[in-house]
Amino acid sequence: MAAPLELRCWGGGWGLPSVHPESLTVLAYAKFSGAPLTVNTISSSWKAPKGDIPVLISEDNVISQPAKILNFLRKQKYNADYELSAKQGADTLAYIALLEEKLLPALLHTFWIEAENYCSVTKPWFASRIAFPLSLYLPGKMSREALNRILLTKGGPPLYSLTEVEAQIYRDAKECLNLLSKRLGTSQFFFGDTPTTLDAFVFGFLAPVYKVCFPRVQLQEHLKQLPNLCRFCDDILTCYFRLSVSGHSPAGQDTADANLQKLTQLVNKESNLIEKMDDNLRKSPQHPPRKLTTLKLAAGGEESSPFNRLSP
Amino acid sequence: TLCFQAFLQMCNLPIQVVCRANAEYMSPSGKVPFIHVGNQVVSELGPIVQFVKAKGHSLSDGLDEVQKAEMKAYMELVNNMLLTAELYLQWCDDVTVEEITHPRYGSPYPWPLNRILSYQKQWEVRRKMKAIGWAGKTLEQVLEDVDQCCQALSQRLGTQPYFFNKQPTELDALVFGHLFTILTTQLITDELSEKVKNYSNLTAFCRRIEQQYFEGHDKDSSTIAARSAKRSLLR
Repeated sequence: MAAPLELRCWGGGWGLPSVHPESLTVLAYAKFSGAPLTVNTISSSWKAPKGDIPVLISEDNVISQPAKILNFLRKQKYNADYELSAKQGADTLAYIALLEEKLLPALLHTFWIEAENYCSVTKPWFASRIAFPLSLYLPGKMSREALNRILLTKGGPPLYSLTEVEAQIYRDAKECLNLLSKRLGTSQFFFGDTPTTLDAFVFGFLAPVYKVCFPRVQLQEHLKQLPNLCRFCDDILTCYFRLSVSGHSPAGQDTADANLQKLTQLVNKESNLIEKMDDNLRKSPQHPPRKLTTLKLAAGGEESSPFNRLSP
Repeated sequence: TLCFQAFLQMCNLPIQVVCRANAEYMSPSGKVPFIHVGNQVVSELGPIVQFVKAKGHSLSDGLDEVQKAEMKAYMELVNNMLLTAELYLQWCDDVTVEEITHPRYGSPYPWPLNRILSYQKQWEVRRKMKAIGWAGKTLEQVLEDVDQCCQALSQRLGTQPYFFNKQPTELDALVFGHLFTILTTQLITDELSEKVKNYSNLTAFCRRIEQQYFEGHDKDSSTIAARSAKRSLLR
């Protein structure tokens, strides 16, 4: 536990700590479980990104996929799921599988394969973060890998052309978003009041779709029609990433203001939600002190009251 | 194959199972199995469920929205983990491939066609594994994933007769199909079926469905079921 944990991942933008879904998942989980990570974003230095990103380095261990990284963190006692029942743990696995099967192809497509998006946003962003001359090669390679993955898993008959595959994966993604929205309902997180692994994964996949400004945005538009999912992303950003967000990008301050505005609107509109949370809080068990410090918002006034009540 | 039979029998629709060598070509999507009803041919679980629903039979009408979402999520889990693990075991584990898969897959065809077709299929499957990141997994890791999946299913099932309490749904058919195949198919090692056997409520679940929906018919159906269980290894 005392061993320093270093995470190498893709950096942030548009108000997010990272624009890469898998990196974002790990960052979110680390915040939820209170794991002290030193985050090193990949920048255009000569240290080329090898292998899968994100990667966690702890003493001699180098661990690369999000699921394995989360397992490792859990073994180090940074566990965000300790309050979950066995059935909820099973649900977590099932919903993560749903995300990977239905939402991830469309996400990859929006970022890497949609020509306008790729050329105007994704490629320049990634290329600016990788050292020359690797910046000429690596984005192209990532794009080809994404296309490969989509075609191999979704592209069999009766879908014979890329447009048909695209139509199918976007249909699946929209259905997945609807299912997630139904499952979330009006709760703050997927399993009550504390965020868990599933919240980290959902946030990691949804937030890039929600925040990154692309020219072609059909998935984002669909997401914006599901207000509870948008609220979910915004809540996590404000509660857990506020400090790092304003530290990083120049857009951070604007995002903080916008988030503050959204928070005020939330409070004014949904007083029922606060009452419901009150009931849940009275029934829920005590939370460990580690998590509470991140929830104490600097914004004074009424909006912090539901969160303040979590302190003993 | 078994999950389709189970599903159709749960809907109380009579079916006749036929094994054909060119099944993959007859199917509209290239995937076996498929159903042939009147002059319509429908393949794959999703479209078959919708087809059956359009004809007025549906197993998941009694579920509310959140439960439907859960059901879809669990079906994806089964597809993601169990199906991929089965494919991995059949095509990426060298011992199994040599001794069981190649002979079985190529058996309807004369030499050298049987070798060519099975190598082609193997190459295809390995490419897909590589794309989704399973190529780097060892057999132990795959077995561990299967174990995790079975644990999740077992915890979700708990002590209920079916996954969504009293009524069987598409999820029950799917899970039954996969688990029964794993439990009854002979492979080089029994590790995969041992993993499933660790969870007694899952084995009881399979037995219950088998008794309820398959043994009600004559001997022929059960032998057909066993034969098609072996054939599903060819998928």
